[in-house]
Amino acid sequence: MKFIKRSLTVFSIVIILCLSLQAQIPASPQQQPVAITGATIYTVSGGVIQDGTIIFEDGKITAIGAGLEIPEAAERYDASGKYVYPGLIHAYTNMGLTEIGAVDVTSDINEFGQINPNVRAEKAFHPESRHIPVARSHGIAVSLSSPSGSTISGFSAAMLMDGWTWEGMTLRAPIGLMINWPMITDNDNNNARNQLKEIKQAFSNARSYKKARSVSENHRTDMKWEAMIPVLQREIPVVVQANNARQIQDAITWAESENVRLVILGGRDALYAVDQLIAKDVPVIITPVLTSPGRPWQGYDEVYSNAAELHEAGIRFAISGEYGSANAMRLRHHAATAAGFGLPADEAMKAITLYPAEIFGLSDRIGSLEVGKDATMIVTDGELLDLRTSVEQMFIRGRKIDMADQQKNLFKRYREKYRQLSEE
Amino acid sequence: MTHRFFIVFFFFIISSLLLDAQTSPAVGLRDNTPAVHALANGRIVVGPGNIIENGTVVIRDGVIEAVGSNLSPPTDARVWDMSGRTLYAGFIDLYSDIGIPEPEADRERRSIDVLLRQVPAQFSSFLAAQIAAEETPEGALYWNPQVRSYIDGAMVFKPDARNASALRSQGFTNALVAPQDGIFRGRSAFVSLGEGDGNDLIIRDNVTQNISFDRSNRLGGRYPTSLMGSIALIRQTLSDADWYNNAHEAYMRNPSGKERPEMNVALAALTDVVRGRQPVILDTSDELAFLRASKIAGEYSLAMWVRGSGHEYKRIDAVKATGLPLILPVNFPSPPDVSTPENAREVSLEELRHWNDAPDNPARLAQSGVTFTFTSDQLDDKKKFLSQLRQAVDRGLSKDAALAALTTNPAQLLGMHNKLGTIERGKIANIVVADGDIFSSNTKVVDVWIDGSRFEVEAVPDVDVRGTWSVSAVDRDIEGTMEIKGELARLSGTLTIAEKDIELKPVNYDLQRLSVGFPGDSINVDGRIIMSATVSPEEMFGSGVLPGGRSFEWRAMRQEHFTPEQRERPDRKFEKVDLPVVYPAMEYGIPQKPEQPEHVLVQNATIWTQGPDGIWENADMLIRRGKIAQVGYNLNPPRNAVVIDAGGKHVTPGLIDAHIHTSIAGGVNEVGNAITAEVSIRDVLDSNNIWIYRLLAGGLTSANSLHGSANPIGGQNAIIKMRWGALPDEMLIDDAPKGIKFALGENVTRNQRRYPNTRMGVEQIIRDEFQAALEYEVAWKRWEQNRSGIPPRRDHRLETVLEILKGERHIHSHCYRQDEIIALIRVAEDFGVTIRSFQHTVEGFKVAEVLQEHGAGAAVWSDWWAFKVEAYDATTYNARLLHDQGVLTVIHSDNTQLATRMNWEAAKVVQTGVYEEDALSMITINAAKMLGIDHRVGSLEAGKDADFVIWKQHPLATDTRAEQTWVDGRKYFDIEDDVRMREEVREQRAQLIQSALAALDAGEQPRRGRRGGISPFEEDYSCMEDHYEIH
Repeated sequence: MKFIKRSLTVFSIVIILCLSLQAQIPASPQQQPVAITGATIYTVSGGVIQDGTIIFEDGKITAIGAGLEIPEAAERYDASGKYVYPGLIHAYTNMGLTEIGAVDVTSDINEFGQINPNVRAEKAFHPESRHIPVARSHGIAVSLSSPSGSTISGFSAAMLMDGWTWEGMTLRAPIGLMINWPMITDNDNNNARNQLKEIKQAFSNARSYKKARSVSENHRTDMKWEAMIPVLQREIPVVVQANNARQIQDAITWAESENVRLVILGGRDALYAVDQLIAKDVPVIITPVLTSPGRPWQGYDEVYSNAAELHEAGIRFAISGEYGSANAMRLRHHAATAAGFGLPADEAMKAITLYPAEIFGLSDRIGSLEVGKDATMIVTDGELLDLRTSVEQMFIRGRKIDMADQQKNLFKRYREKYRQLSEE
Repeated sequence: MTHRFFIVFFFFIISSLLLDAQTSPAVGLRDNTPAVHALANGRIVVGPGNIIENGTVVIRDGVIEAVGSNLSPPTDARVWDMSGRTLYAGFIDLYSDIGIPEPEADRERRSIDVLLRQVPAQFSSFLAAQIAAEETPEGALYWNPQVRSYIDGAMVFKPDARNASALRSQGFTNALVAPQDGIFRGRSAFVSLGEGDGNDLIIRDNVTQNISFDRSNRLGGRYPTSLMGSIALIRQTLSDADWYNNAHEAYMRNPSGKERPEMNVALAALTDVVRGRQPVILDTSDELAFLRASKIAGEYSLAMWVRGSGHEYKRIDAVKATGLPLILPVNFPSPPDVSTPENAREVSLEELRHWNDAPDNPARLAQSGVTFTFTSDQLDDKKKFLSQLRQAVDRGLSKDAALAALTTNPAQLLGMHNKLGTIERGKIANIVVADGDIFSSNTKVVDVWIDGSRFEVEAVPDVDVRGTWSVSAVDRDIEGTMEIKGELARLSGTLTIAEKDIELKPVNYDLQRLSVGFPGDSINVDGRIIMSATVSPEEMFGSGVLPGGRSFEWRAMRQEHFTPEQRERPDRKFEKVDLPVVYPAMEYGIPQKPEQPEHVLVQNATIWTQGPDGIWENADMLIRRGKIAQVGYNLNPPRNAVVIDAGGKHVTPGLIDAHIHTSIAGGVNEVGNAITAEVSIRDVLDSNNIWIYRLLAGGLTSANSLHGSANPIGGQNAIIKMRWGALPDEMLIDDAPKGIKFALGENVTRNQRRYPNTRMGVEQIIRDEFQAALEYEVAWKRWEQNRSGIPPRRDHRLETVLEILKGERHIHSHCYRQDEIIALIRVAEDFGVTIRSFQHTVEGFKVAEVLQEHGAGAAVWSDWWAFKVEAYDATTYNARLLHDQGVLTVIHSDNTQLATRMNWEAAKVVQTGVYEEDALSMITINAAKMLGIDHRVGSLEAGKDADFVIWKQHPLATDTRAEQTWVDGRKYFDIEDDVRMREEVREQRAQLIQSALAALDAGEQPRRGRRGGISPFEEDYSCMEDHYEIH
């Protein structure tokens, strides 16, 4: 098996080198003011502006409204008949951490061992991943790239979807400490029990480490427990993957006893814990929407309508798509399905823009179109929640993004092939 | 040690003297104990419905000599008082493994397996040689180690006293025992459950050939790995047995100049089976497996008995229609564990219903007139057989039917009804003696008589010590009464001296000796007193020891005999919940096939015909007897037509998915060989699958259910309609063209343990198989010219491949890269074949002109990519480019959940510049054309099947949904009915969970399963994740 692995590695490296030659060129910083005019603007936080204008300078939104005066120096972007939305935020993805699912060595998702609070996603973020331009073409401007797999998987990072290096692309990091809540069942399984013990042990260790360090600076460094201090100080939340009712309930109790900020990821059974989620103000990242219930007795559309139910119950939530970066492009399809099954459309838009920004403390920069926020937005040729709509242009911090991606390039390349054939 | 051995050996010799076979020479003195018994004054159940209330059975030398009510026992008979007893004919178990040893694990084979996993892949040629060696059997056997038809139960049988006694305790006197391993397991032997050696116990050898769908891993062999593979192997083996016979007959007639046909004892052992002279028994796991078994029986004209599963009641009519007799286990399920909210949530209605309904199975089969017998098989504890059986009687199985299933039915099946099955003159003296009605809960089997010998079920001591005794010990102040009571195995007692009760401890009684102890302070001595006595019915006497060490003598006289307390076994504390019968017997099942109205008129809708007429706004569609009659404006409703106002709504053809893997039982891939053309999805369709309903809810009405992608030439497909509630065969589109799955690229080359390992090898192995099929046909033609000589062997694999070459079977080939697409096209062209479709076709956009010129369609995903290397150079523009170049383009799912929302998959394609109508065609008419079913479905045109969907609005919008889904002019899904059914499902689960909680509360042990997990993709096989291992 090693032999195959190695040969696949070499093969994929060759491929990845080849692709970097045709990768898109990151945009330069915004040089002059830009005014997008004539658009239907979904500010998300402040309603919809018909025939509106949005002006931004030095990467920040400076004005937004209808019938605005446009500065002389501004570059005009005529968006008549088009729509402007904030850039989408993918709240849970392995974007930049993996390239080809079946080839292990292209994957930097899952660190060795079960307790890895010290690893950080941004540091392994691959700026040349072919998945990034494809995701951009579907409106995603920021991805919360997250490690996964082990019990405590490490910290996620908010990554901008354009730039030369991971440092240049990091919007903010760390964002959340990713934890997989074990599934305890009757008839097993020491494995899950041990995982639970390990989580509790890790937090207890980190707490005593923090105390030891506060008493003596000479206490030797422990990479793992050191990394957890901001979590213990409630500066950064834990993001606990929990779908089953028991997992969700137990995670809430645990977070309360550890006095840490909790975000539930998954939340398939969140309706079994409504009171506690509201009482403890625990938000839920619903992921994914586009699937069917695991229990045959459930209604066929119960996962589709989960977001609407959580909204009605008054639970704070956001929608993420699938974890795999190749499928990040489907983010708006997930939101659109939630909207199709009872979630008000403006809530569905917020669920992939403003809500994840608020949940992860990024709403000072992104998530809605407001004066003073980053000029991170998209221009589309139709309603974003309609699958037939295409994203025409993206701006990240005012930078006009090259919208080419490998999928469009292949289209162009082979359209040319058939043009040549038709001439023969 | 040696000493003990000799004692055992000595007893062995003694006992074998008594039990020697009739042909063994006498050793020592002959045993001529008289064997004449009269079982007098019993209630004799002669047979079902025939009772002598007070009668006598006379047994002489193992045979019933006389039965009657006014019968005086012969003078030489030993008379047994049977008053209070009920006598039945001995029970017969037709499915047992008693006395059949497990085959020795093949250590050598296992070690090769371990080796194979460890050796680096570079040594694959060495591995290939090893595997070849591994697969070569010893002796003149079948190539596949799972075929052990030659194993003879009568040769391997070893008397097993312990298990025989357990079966006797349930009233069984005979069993049909069979080897337990392999797919063809071997021949059964009919044995009696008495004591003795094989010569005595085996009544008949070679009774049935036992077959199973389940391979036995300890026998090794790489094929089959799936249920469809097992079925294919059964077919091929039976064909081979038929050929073997014919070939040898032809050779024997005139051997000169003919090639000698091979010698094969496994095939020879099947001669009587394929000639319909010997019954086969096939064991099944559910009602669909039963129907699979019956299909094989029909194809090969087998005399088949089916070992049932207890699920037959779910499809009672279909089971009855087969006419096959059943051997029923009584392992009714324990209540599911619903003791916590978490566990209760994970229990399906299907499981709860089966727990509730399973004990009805025998009664319902009996009412329908199905012939069946009972077996103790599948019970972990054989001693629970009678109590389980009584549950079935409680649920309405008549006692006569139950008795017939235990006695006369099996005797009839065995053709031994003149010897067994009733208590009648001349029959073998196999009799069950019970202390009451055997079907009542407190009744116990007291004795069974087998071949005229009595076997005690529970040894009753000659003298029952229990009762009250007056005790006296001369000069020792021990004067009083002693009471001994309790169960024989656990006695207790009190001694009362001077009105003071003293507990006796211990109280032991064995071989007419009682021993007790008690504290001495009762008679003013310090320490404990121990006593023992020899017991006769009215008196006992013995000695005792005082604390000081002195012995004394004592005696006791009987005052009263023991009368046992009347024990009433508590009834089950929960009631059966009466639920409506639905098909399938699970959530969202329906009571009957939805009706097909004479006329249906859908009015005022936007109708996407997907035919030449395009889209009609505000139009009507008329359905007549399940077919589309007309699409037009302002159509008049015929009298009594069902009129549906679809104002503001959209109507499209039912959606079609050209590539799913759902509703397949027992494995999607047969990975035992790189070429598996002989296996078929049609054999293993699973109609008990919630996804069928969910697909309807998403507007999907037809699909191509395909074999997985492990093999260059995989299995045969099944093109089905989502006829929820129908049986597997009823789901098939009857005139759909045959198809087969091919696969190229990574999935088929990944396995280092078999050919091919490269795309080069894939091209070659397909070419090789095509060539072999042609040469196979030549051989048959040559033989058919004069039909002399040795006939060719029928090869199911090559015959399937030959169908491909004759254009009678469509190739649907899984592929990714452009090079492999072209390579397969060129192979096909060399053989004059057109590839019907490429599936996934991730790089199809690169060679659209090649596909177009060849005439192959392309089924693609809307946007899956990058999950493996060959899926990396992908584009969402794939469908667009293919479509632009005139290739028949289809959007497929390869994933059951995705298949529930194909309209959105099509919507995504619009984004790349495809017209909406064309996008919708990619999941309707184009898919129908690809599968060759466009004469039936795919568009809304007059004469086609009325398969359509009424959508809330535009079918490609994300806030649309299927409101009604019709198949064959029958409404299979209605969004309003769905709401009602959810409520029913909730109520029924709640009721059954309450019932299960009551059962658990009453002390029943819960059935543990995998609980507490959400597994949304349980059913969700996909070629995308086709990772497989050969075990």
